[in-house]
Amino acid sequence: MMHKNDLRRFLQADDGYVPPLVADRNVYLPRRARVRQVVRENSLVRTLELVFEDQIHSSDFTYLPGQFMMLSLPHCGEAPISFSSSPTRPGGFSLSIRKAGKLTTAAQELRPGDMVGVRGPYGRPFPMADLRGRNLVFVAGGIGMAPLRSAILYCLDKGDEYGHITVLYGSKTPGEFCFMPDLTAWRQDERLTCLLTVDEGDDDWQGRVGLVTGLLDEVEMDGGRDRALVCGPGVMIRFVLERLAALGFQEDNMITTLERHMKCGVGICGHCHFENKMVCTDGPVFTRSELPDLRKL
Amino acid sequence: MMMNKNLVMNKDYLVPLLRKLAKTHRLVAPVRNEYGDTLFTIITDLDRTEIDLDHQPQASLKPYFFPQTDTLCRYVIDCDPATGAMDYSFHVQLPQNRPTVYVGVRSCDMFAVMYTDMVFLHEHERDVYYKQRRDNAIFITIACNTPFDNCFCNATRSGPFLESGFDLQLTDLGDRWFVETGRARGAGLTEDWACFFRPADEADKRAQFQAELEARGRFKQLVHVDLASKLLAEDKVPESIFRDLSSRCQDCGGCAFICPTCTCFNITDQPRDEAGGERVRSWDACTFSGFTAMAGGHNSVDVETGRIRRRFLHKLQYDVDRHGRPSCVGCGRCVGMCFGGVDMIRFISMISEAGENGAEAGE
Repeated sequence: MMHKNDLRRFLQADDGYVPPLVADRNVYLPRRARVRQVVRENSLVRTLELVFEDQIHSSDFTYLPGQFMMLSLPHCGEAPISFSSSPTRPGGFSLSIRKAGKLTTAAQELRPGDMVGVRGPYGRPFPMADLRGRNLVFVAGGIGMAPLRSAILYCLDKGDEYGHITVLYGSKTPGEFCFMPDLTAWRQDERLTCLLTVDEGDDDWQGRVGLVTGLLDEVEMDGGRDRALVCGPGVMIRFVLERLAALGFQEDNMITTLERHMKCGVGICGHCHFENKMVCTDGPVFTRSELPDLRKL
Repeated sequence: MMMNKNLVMNKDYLVPLLRKLAKTHRLVAPVRNEYGDTLFTIITDLDRTEIDLDHQPQASLKPYFFPQTDTLCRYVIDCDPATGAMDYSFHVQLPQNRPTVYVGVRSCDMFAVMYTDMVFLHEHERDVYYKQRRDNAIFITIACNTPFDNCFCNATRSGPFLESGFDLQLTDLGDRWFVETGRARGAGLTEDWACFFRPADEADKRAQFQAELEARGRFKQLVHVDLASKLLAEDKVPESIFRDLSSRCQDCGGCAFICPTCTCFNITDQPRDEAGGERVRSWDACTFSGFTAMAGGHNSVDVETGRIRRRFLHKLQYDVDRHGRPSCVGCGRCVGMCFGGVDMIRFISMISEAGENGAEAGE
């Protein structure tokens, strides 16, 4: 018997999300996954490439950009981490982790071959099906690039299903950009416009200095037709959404993803409440129209 | 569909009936302990235990299905000596499924079980730990002829008498119990032990009707729950009320812990030694200052001014939107618990008063 929730996700998902068929699976039990590779993005961020230890889990596993996993590390409990990889590239998945608390600090020490626990995928993904045929503007701040990278790679791998892609990425310093190999490739790819800016430059930095909102004025966008996907610190999301609105973007055409303290990931524990919603199940992806008060981000 | 039956049981037959049920089931009932506290207690010796059906149990049945701390799994950490790689595995031990008869459950607490069933079994991913404890439970509830001082289940529509949810509902008719069968298991029970029951006659039904009618007139609290939900939905609650009550909250979590419908929880690892430990789920409270704090310190809730917001909005507004009724069952326990006076009755009276004044001022 398919659980009601699985059925709902199955009907909503646009890319063949296959629900598990086991009747009484234990949602709190992590699956074992092995670290295949660790990429040092900068002094505070590591990307873990993970593969399920059980191959049945691997073949059964599918996710969409914008979703997240609950990551377990020994003695550290769990934390929600967004996918930074794209499901179009199967055989594992990546989680990019910024050092902030106990678990994310321990994650910096992981080496290839180490075992971690993961459960998921959880959350409402980016509406990848609805975005087809649209020009997309991705606006990222800091580690906020992680979930957007998943969506950007997804669009690129889907060939001409999506329109022109604009990536605007702001970072505190030049050393803090994540996914440098991707950024380099994107800047040479004619399907993309990729602009970077930093709050503070250094001697080697030849690029722009200033807030990411400033980049919005440098690119051509059609607020009525294009779609914007925004992720970063709460205050950055607020200013970008306000600027996009001023540039003519409809509320339903601006999409963001929120970060919250989470414990269960499945809508029960209460920690990620946001007004009448649970960020873990109603989000983490929201359109601007679903977020009335931006000061509470 | 099975018809609900009305039966009558002699007062003296309750313990003999329980004695029969105890052969196959664990018994849980309110018992007054040596300190004068009435608490739901596992009864091991019926002959030496006095079941207390006169006082409201101080805690609800919540801990029997959703314990204050619950081990979700054990974790084991190992190191591969050849490669130096860390191994890490999880081992589950589910709680025992023990068929249990819960006796003397008040309407509010029965209603709360129906609410937590929705949270843990139906609305989200099914929670196997809750399910394991909840399966095979039989509820013999007791209708409240005389509501207690802080009760307002009339206003939350969760009492004092129930129409469904119970297996058997008992109404005190002085020398006898009026017995209603609710779910199939309750009806089956009266058939299995038919010797303890006789069909209710017209006089019994009249007496039950009289008791229910009188009970509804005995509430000491007048709490405008529906008005509160309406005012919240219309955004007519002054911010100052949230600020005032937030400043009176002492961060103890007592309201959430005592509340039969509060289900928020935390999950933490409790290391045993370097080689492993336990992953534990424990009760949490949305009023705690750290409830929404993220690693790195950002908190989406302004604790000073808004910590109590979630508690009241969830129960009186969001759950009304979602499920068509508030998730406060009117048991009044938070009223007795909070020494800062940040309880449901206080909140509702504050916003109703402000609403009336607002209406008078022509708002």
